[in-house]
Amino acid sequence: MKVTGTIERRDLEGGIWQLVADDGKRYTLLGGAKEMKAGARVEVEGTLDEGFGIGMAGPQLRVASVRKL
Amino acid sequence: MLREARGLWMSSGTLSSRPALKERLAIALLATAALLLLGLAGCARQPAPVMEMSDEAVPGLIEVELKGPASLPGKVLDQEEVEDDEFGDLFSRELQVELQVDPADEAATLAQLRARPDVIWAEPVTRLQALWLPDDPDFAKQWHLKAAGAEAAWDIARGEGVTVAVIDTGIYPVDDLDPSRIVKGYNFVGRNEDARDDHAHGTHVAGTIAQSTGNGKGVAGMAPQARLMPLKVLTAFGSGTSHDIAEAIRWAVDHGARVLNLSLGGGMRSLAMESAVHYARRKGAIVVCAAGNSGGRGVSFPAAYRDAFAVSAAGPKGFAAPYTSYGPQVRLAAPGGDKTLGEEAGVLQQTLAEGSTTEAAYRWFQGTSMAAPHVAGAAALIMSLGVSAPAAVEDLLTATARRAPESDGEKYGAGLLDAAAAVRRATVWWGLWRLLFALGGALVAVAHARRSGERIKTRGLFWAGIGVGAGALAMLAPLGAERLPFLALLALPPAAWPQRLLGAGSFAGYIGWSALVPFLIALPARAAAKPIDNGFGALAAGLSFGWAGALLHAALWRTVDLPWMPAFLMPLWLLIGAVVAWSAGRGLLAREPLR
Repeated sequence: MKVTGTIERRDLEGGIWQLVADDGKRYTLLGGAKEMKAGARVEVEGTLDEGFGIGMAGPQLRVASVRKL
Repeated sequence: MLREARGLWMSSGTLSSRPALKERLAIALLATAALLLLGLAGCARQPAPVMEMSDEAVPGLIEVELKGPASLPGKVLDQEEVEDDEFGDLFSRELQVELQVDPADEAATLAQLRARPDVIWAEPVTRLQALWLPDDPDFAKQWHLKAAGAEAAWDIARGEGVTVAVIDTGIYPVDDLDPSRIVKGYNFVGRNEDARDDHAHGTHVAGTIAQSTGNGKGVAGMAPQARLMPLKVLTAFGSGTSHDIAEAIRWAVDHGARVLNLSLGGGMRSLAMESAVHYARRKGAIVVCAAGNSGGRGVSFPAAYRDAFAVSAAGPKGFAAPYTSYGPQVRLAAPGGDKTLGEEAGVLQQTLAEGSTTEAAYRWFQGTSMAAPHVAGAAALIMSLGVSAPAAVEDLLTATARRAPESDGEKYGAGLLDAAAAVRRATVWWGLWRLLFALGGALVAVAHARRSGERIKTRGLFWAGIGVGAGALAMLAPLGAERLPFLALLALPPAAWPQRLLGAGSFAGYIGWSALVPFLIALPARAAAKPIDNGFGALAAGLSFGWAGALLHAALWRTVDLPWMPAFLMPLWLLIGAVVAWSAGRGLLAREPLR
């Protein structure tokens, strides 16, 4: 799936990356940390991971690629 | 009066025996009250302003009483308006101020202050109780351990003999973790035995539970003597599958863990994980889970399962953290940090440095993941006191919780974690009940024996036996049982010793939590023609009544869990044990030698 939104660095559990989608939904991003920049508008392509994690703040999105907008 | 009592005790008449019984009941109650008061005196410990261990003056701290606000040398740590000493005055209020000054200048500053006209008095701050405080230099920054009641709890228990499974990203053996306390774990992600952390989350959580404490280095943890079992179920990204987590839960319990910490969650209900959590609890483990970080209503899984113990997060002032999830499943709130109040309002532990998989660093984290291990550590402290039933541990934690600053059961559950209050209840109050039950049983038996003309010659040993068997010395635990290793065992009744020494899941628990020991001790005593006439017989009889009291208490409060014993049969087993133990003592009193 592709999601467009803004990247946010949250100081939770030692630090997690989240994508605040344009529809307001929050995804915790798994992987791709090197391309992350807080505040950047991006389109993230990846797969929804319904598993469990440390974020506990919304569904997880396993990142395949990040495209800057 | 005493002589009279003795005379009555020696006489064998049924009528004259009554006052003696009352007399002894009064003495026993007085002794119990004295023990209880001593134990409670040890509970009066207040959080200390500085962390150095000293039984005299605390270096660099001065207390001053002033006639009114004035400028003072050094840093004001605390100040309080007090009534005028002489008149309890309605008009003039005085000010008591605690000052922090350079320890080198302390004497000079004191002299200076005492010379000032607006200073009523000035004195060095002294510590009244020389209780154990860790020498870890950054312990002072760990507001969260103090808020959780760790300091006062450490005088009673340190988690000895309890294994806590950390089901997380693994544990990296950083230098402020004692390697001998990390037991064998498993890596469910890589399917191998290398359960080292490659993320930092799991190591931080493990630090809160059992960071090396009193080692002169770094920081402290809730249950410093507990063992850690690293189970890696989350990848370096901090995510994992329900399958691996469920498997790890079962693995943990099957390998001796009695506290499970799950600082993880997701939004999907997994039946595999739910049944694993149920299995863990049935096998005698408490499953502590982070409520979630959504900042809204809705507790994540596994915290939301019925058999899990869900923990929400609070900040330094005790208010629920803005990020914490909440809901009806929340059982308790614990410190998880609130960095909206500053970096140092997070939870400080040693873990991996940011971005590194080998270097260690002390880092401030916040999250419900940080709250759960405070509770897991407290559970380990309680379990090290011989409370092996998970439901009893949960009840202790919730019943002794501090009142939350707001009344919101969904955010705070029963309130804020207070580990010290929980371990006190398991020692002081439970010790009192055990002793009362034991004395009650003993007095009934003594009254019976007296009617048939029997008497005890060595009464001191008889009463001592009752006290030891009932674990009455546990009532003294707050005075510092854990500071001396041999005293630590006395903080729990002898019936709990096998479980403490060999682990709650050990079959050795059956030795203690049955009438076996008093029965075996009573056997040789009963070989004598008049068992009760010798000291050994009197001691054995006392021990039997004491043991009976401990078993009766465990049956009524449901504090004990034994392997393979279904929960509903446990009270029955203990009750039978209590009756057999009581009968063993009664047999000795009734002068029945073995035939």
